[in-house]
Amino acid sequence: MRNRMPMAAVIVMALFLSACGSTGTLADPAPVNTVERPRPVGAAENPTATSGSAAPAPPSCPADGRASIRPTGPLPPPGQMPDGNMRTIQQRGLLKAGVDQNTFLFGFRNPNTGQLEGFDIDRVHEIAAAIFGDPNKIQYVPLASADRIEALKTGKVDVVVRTFTANCTRWADINFSAIYYVAGQRLLVDKSSTVTDLKQLGGKRVCTQTGSTSFNTLSKADPKLVVVATKTWSDCLIMLQQGQADAISTDDGILAGMAAQDPNVKLVGNRFTQEPYGIGIPKRNEDMVRFVNSVLEKSIRDGAWQASYNRWLRPSIGDASPPVPEYR
Amino acid sequence: MVVTAPREAPPAPGTRRVLGTPLSAVRQLTRSAGTTPGRLTVIAVGLVLLTVLTGLVGALALQQKQTTIDNLVEHREPLAAAAQQLYRSLSDADATAASAFLSGGTEPEALRSRYERDIAQAGAALAKASSDVGDDTQAQAQVQLLNQQLPVYASLVETARTNNRQGFPAGAAYLREANGLMRDKILPAANTLYRIDFVRLGAEQEDVRSFPWATVVLAVLLLAALIATQMYLTRRTNRLINIGLAVATVAVLLSLIWGTVAMLFMSGGVADGQRNGSALAEVLVRARIVTLKLRADETLTLVTRGDGPDYDGDFTKLRPEVSGDTEANLLVQAKNLASSQQVADEIQSAINNTNAYLTAHDRIRQLDKDGKYQEAVDAAIKDAPDSAATAFAKLDENLLNALNAGRQEFLNQTLTARNALTGLVPGAVVLALLAAAGITLGVAQRLREYR
Repeated sequence: MRNRMPMAAVIVMALFLSACGSTGTLADPAPVNTVERPRPVGAAENPTATSGSAAPAPPSCPADGRASIRPTGPLPPPGQMPDGNMRTIQQRGLLKAGVDQNTFLFGFRNPNTGQLEGFDIDRVHEIAAAIFGDPNKIQYVPLASADRIEALKTGKVDVVVRTFTANCTRWADINFSAIYYVAGQRLLVDKSSTVTDLKQLGGKRVCTQTGSTSFNTLSKADPKLVVVATKTWSDCLIMLQQGQADAISTDDGILAGMAAQDPNVKLVGNRFTQEPYGIGIPKRNEDMVRFVNSVLEKSIRDGAWQASYNRWLRPSIGDASPPVPEYR
Repeated sequence: MVVTAPREAPPAPGTRRVLGTPLSAVRQLTRSAGTTPGRLTVIAVGLVLLTVLTGLVGALALQQKQTTIDNLVEHREPLAAAAQQLYRSLSDADATAASAFLSGGTEPEALRSRYERDIAQAGAALAKASSDVGDDTQAQAQVQLLNQQLPVYASLVETARTNNRQGFPAGAAYLREANGLMRDKILPAANTLYRIDFVRLGAEQEDVRSFPWATVVLAVLLLAALIATQMYLTRRTNRLINIGLAVATVAVLLSLIWGTVAMLFMSGGVADGQRNGSALAEVLVRARIVTLKLRADETLTLVTRGDGPDYDGDFTKLRPEVSGDTEANLLVQAKNLASSQQVADEIQSAINNTNAYLTAHDRIRQLDKDGKYQEAVDAAIKDAPDSAATAFAKLDENLLNALNAGRQEFLNQTLTARNALTGLVPGAVVLALLAAAGITLGVAQRLREYR
């Protein structure tokens, strides 16, 4: 019985303490409701299509756009351009080339040298060398995918060498050279991902570039995707790295360039489109189309194409030989 | 002492205790108000109360003015300065990161350490600017955003750096993302914070200059009451002067004049500090923000090479704000506000260096247009004597010097203004006590005559 008093005291104390505990609620001293993630400038979800291929029925054209205008005669010697557009460019002293500066392996600014480099940039050098005898007489005009056709129409650039898929819709507005590389659309995902097909990505965030053929393909995908459109391909890579995209889908060559920058991503699945790359040239400059086709033929003939391919793309994509030019 | 016998009835009982304990006097009021000594007692109590009230209100008002001036000098102005320093450091960090990217290869040591200093300075300025946002929710929101996003920005720049060192174009993408965050969120928040601090500074300057009407009205009332009482006493007692009340009147008059003159001096000083100091600094801050934006636009035009937002168009749009000979040029505006030749000269140097910078910029654009991209980059970021980087560094230094001169002017004028109030509070209290004593003794003397 002597224990009763302390016991009662303990019970009272416990009741008192529990009562205390239930009356006060701790306030979060610095509440954070949402965390805003940084985003590449211009990235947008499911934007409306900006490329010409949104037209209902694409026009037909020879060989689905792969056939270009046949060159006539041999290349004129550098510095002796015939009258017409080629003479104009020679007299200007600079080739205005619409390029990409953010796509590894094709057209990118090498951060160590500050120079533009890549498989596409090699093509620009070949054209400049054929016109001036100097491969560096170039004024680069970096362009977004969506601005390529406009830049050619307004004469802002002489050529566009920028992973540019030749198709009939685009032929309606501009000319293309012969095909110098054939890519195909595939998927790039995180190494841990089990995705191998577009069909597994319904409702998921798939990144691509505004104004590209890949964008149009993804917009029509079934089941529907959340298409995240960016201004440059590098923006897609960083969105994947930052966990803001589940996959990237575009031409395998471009994807290979991303995989080369990050060992934690992988290319998966088969090609589900064919993307023949041509050099874009303004509609009225047919003499230039013939000239550029001659330059491409020469490049393929003397091994420059192969050397360029081996330098940039072979380590990531494997062996390939130059495409056979088709003409209309 | 007694010369004439009073005409009225003998004093009511209890009058003697009146002055010792005013409370009991109040109790007697109704009973004794009908008699002259009673009336005199009421008048004395009223006058003393009014004196105490006037002294109290005046002392409090003056004390508050002094506190506000101290607050201006110790908090408001340093906060506005910290907010503008924050903007400058952030903007410079961003332009420096872009310059380092443009320079190619391993970034130059000078640019690296400049970026690091900018970020450290931004952190320090942000800590200062955050220290006193008070309950201003708009300012709180800016500080929150800045505190949350600054580490994100810095981490993006580091990721960009890592990728650049490996030769990957993903680095450029991270840098663009960082730059977008800076331009779209962080800098606007820093700008808003500065505007808030500047508006609060101006409001407090106005507040300190406002005339303490309540005190003045009370003092004038008191004065009128004192004079009326003396006239009443003269009529009743045939005595021309009551020494106690005369002393009280002089004391009240003295503190009224002293207070008014001191207030006018103080207000003038604060106004000078506002006009020649903080208003000048404000125009210079706006000019500095414009030049920082111009520099960022120039660097980014080279980074994006025309692919991306229209930075060059933005440059063209901002350019008139710091060029030309009219008041549309913020620098000309600032020069017209300068209070000394030295500051005017410094601003003139800023104008000259800004013109040199704009010339360098035009050369860069021409080189880029002619396809000489690398030369354009060199002209923008290398430290040749005619490069944009050199001219910009000079003009930024001019602006900083002029800005500091403006701040110094503010400080000097405001401290001078504060000195005008020195001794006024204890002086006013002493004079009020003197007046109260004068009233008490003066009336007590008359009351004694009724015994």
